[in-house]
Amino acid sequence: MIEFRNVSFAYEKNRPVLSGISFHIDEGENVGLIGANGAGKSTVMKLLLGFLQGEGEILVHDIPVCKDTLAEIRKICGFVLQNSDDQMFMPTVLEDLMFGPVNYGMTKQQAERKADEVLAGLDIAYLKNRYNHRISGGEKRMAAVASVLAMEPEVLLMDEPTAALDPYNRRMIINTIRKLPQTKIITSHDLDMILDTCTRVILIGGGTVAADGPAEEILTNKKLLEAHRLELPLRFSGSSI
Amino acid sequence: MHMADVLLSPGVAATMYAASGTAAGVSINRLRRENEPEKLPVMAVSAAMVFAGQMINYTIPGTGSSGHICGGILLSALLGPYAGFLSMIAVLVVQCLFFADGGLLALGANIWNMAFYGCFVGYFLIWRPIMKGKALSSLPVSARITAAAVLGCIVSLQLGALSVVIETSLSGITDLPFGPFVGVMLPIHLAIRLVEGLITAAVLVFVYKARPELIKDADESAGNSMSLKAVLCILAVVTLFVGGGLSLYASGNPDGLEWALFGNREAGYAENMALDEEAFGVESSAAETAAQVQETTSFLPDYAFKDNDSALGTTVSGVVGSVVVAGCALLLSCIFGFFRKRNAAGRADVN
Amino acid sequence: MNRAENALYELNEMDELANGNSPVHRFSALAKLLVTVIYIAVTMSFDRYDLSGVLMMAVYPYVLFQLSGIPFRTCIYKMRYIIPLIAFVGIFNPLLDRTAFVTIGRVPLSYGWLSFAVLFAKGMLAISASFLLAATTRIDAVCAALRKLRMPAEIVTVILLMYRYVSVLVEEVGVMSNAYHLRAPGQKGIHYSAWGSFLGQLLLRSMDRAQELYASMLLRGYHGEFLYTAEAGMAGRDWMYLLTWTAVIALLRSVPVIQIIGNLFM
Repeated sequence: MIEFRNVSFAYEKNRPVLSGISFHIDEGENVGLIGANGAGKSTVMKLLLGFLQGEGEILVHDIPVCKDTLAEIRKICGFVLQNSDDQMFMPTVLEDLMFGPVNYGMTKQQAERKADEVLAGLDIAYLKNRYNHRISGGEKRMAAVASVLAMEPEVLLMDEPTAALDPYNRRMIINTIRKLPQTKIITSHDLDMILDTCTRVILIGGGTVAADGPAEEILTNKKLLEAHRLELPLRFSGSSI
Repeated sequence: MHMADVLLSPGVAATMYAASGTAAGVSINRLRRENEPEKLPVMAVSAAMVFAGQMINYTIPGTGSSGHICGGILLSALLGPYAGFLSMIAVLVVQCLFFADGGLLALGANIWNMAFYGCFVGYFLIWRPIMKGKALSSLPVSARITAAAVLGCIVSLQLGALSVVIETSLSGITDLPFGPFVGVMLPIHLAIRLVEGLITAAVLVFVYKARPELIKDADESAGNSMSLKAVLCILAVVTLFVGGGLSLYASGNPDGLEWALFGNREAGYAENMALDEEAFGVESSAAETAAQVQETTSFLPDYAFKDNDSALGTTVSGVVGSVVVAGCALLLSCIFGFFRKRNAAGRADVN
Repeated sequence: MNRAENALYELNEMDELANGNSPVHRFSALAKLLVTVIYIAVTMSFDRYDLSGVLMMAVYPYVLFQLSGIPFRTCIYKMRYIIPLIAFVGIFNPLLDRTAFVTIGRVPLSYGWLSFAVLFAKGMLAISASFLLAATTRIDAVCAALRKLRMPAEIVTVILLMYRYVSVLVEEVGVMSNAYHLRAPGQKGIHYSAWGSFLGQLLLRSMDRAQELYASMLLRGYHGEFLYTAEAGMAGRDWMYLLTWTAVIALLRSVPVIQIIGNLFM
């Protein structure tokens, strides 16, 4: 359902971030996108969402990502930003949840019903009328996920969903991710979380796909990970501390 | 420099609403024509930043006081005059409606005094001529930014203070005659404006060095066809600056009011800064309030306001004279500017 | 607490107040906004020596404080900005206008002091009214009302977004100030060598943030209009609120209630 065909991108000439990456993601797959800082994980996300235009071809449901298809693509792909403050820009949680659906043509009543449904599904109905700037970091992250789910995306892109969360909230997000039926692409350095939520891992390094395979296989390959400035997930690292 | 409701009669308040509303209408039209939806979040975040920037205390060297940034100049240097003006409106509306700072009735006047001068006068008469004018194109960009920001802050904020005086006087609120009122209001502000201009300039120069594309009109290739206009504008501005500011210092022996305000630097300066901030709602504490009231009352008995003392007279006439000259220049160029723009647009539809 | 943290505290306090659920909170924002404007304009229109008339106008804030349960104390705190300005402008009246209008014992009270008192009273009443509006009305409701009053969508959108990011950025300034002062003990403010970079850094980050924010808006289908969940319209009870207060204010303006009460007791 998502296909990258030989995609390249450079912010500055002669310094490509991505040089010819290709992969294919099937419907219902949960894919972890990992790599060192600056490897190009976010660039992949931005290319997929059409915020950046590179060379090569990107297809979502066989629709090529280009200027004319942006609305369609963005309806299919929901993106949870790393910083929830940037994502939740309306005064209250409810308004944020309604923002997307109303823009895509729902009436206010439908949108509010949808918002209620999503909030209830994530067990955060109590946040409905709260101000976005008055809720905790964990609540903000959950609300940000909800604001994306309210648009009923088929694919969920998540950028560091567990960053800066306490263990309890981190666990909560992980459980939420596991419950969601959508196709998912998750970027993170939290490899334990990737292991908990993804069945497949794509490792980006040196501008290309350095490895692509089952999560257990890649995330236990110490040599490969260390070559890309990563470490084994804690649970495999033994009692090194 | 927030105006309070109580200093305005409803008639003056309504007039100021109409004036600010017209400027806002022109700006909205302009924004719609530019049709850059990505500008809205930038405007909002910049406005929030100006609001947050008010919370920073900048130490003024040699004194115990602090100054703040000048929002109007900063915003129009980042966003251009129209979007900058609208962002300043957002700042003032949020302060007024959600924090009850600055009155509801006085909002129109506040927008005019604080946003209009900074964004339009500051931008069209000072910022752009200095940044784009041929006369100064040999100077490095950061020097031009500094000059433009400092002059822009001084002029726009002094005009704002002058407007506060005019609005209050027209409203019949105070028995204080216009001349001495101006003589009190403008000089107190001058030193502070200079510092605020420097702070704003420092921020803009920093931004220019980090990301030059964020600053309006800062491209190295200076100069379209406005060199003569630029020179005239700068001359007008310098007249105002010299007339209003330096005549005060040049008037020789610091007596009476001037001494109280500027002469006694060690003891008086800090309080005077506090007095200004107090008066315009920037900073506060009970102690400073007390100090201010005490000072206000202490220097007044010594000073006869009724018959204009000659030193004060010179200063006041200097200020008033250059303000009138600058005002006429400004008015004319605004009128011409607006008409040109309206003709170009083919309609004068406001909002 | 540094100033930014203080401001954040104040922000939160106003949010909390506006989130209340008193009878006053439940009236529509539009009705409250209109009543506030009418009230302030009428109060300001009293003659400069009409102290008794102005004092009677305190009925409105008094009733609203009672009905809404908003603590008057918070309002006094708000007045701290404006009192010096009123005092500064008003203090000239007693000095310049010394005609006595009444002599109490041996102390003559001049018209100047009378007009000063009127000015002060008006100022307090105007701030109380603005404060009551802010403390009983949520931001989304106010924005909906502003739209209803035909304020252009662009400005309202910027106000909404700005309000959301004020607390984010003020908090950031608070953290930055603390970080600065941890490494600059004894300094009261930001040293001039850091004037540019301190706010400049925040500015650069804010511009990036605006990009992210716009991306986030686009991802959710933004195409020009913002949505307001709050109902902007006025129901029957809102009209009642508006008309009742307009009538009361008109009555207080046209009838010298205090004199009438005084006459009753003479």
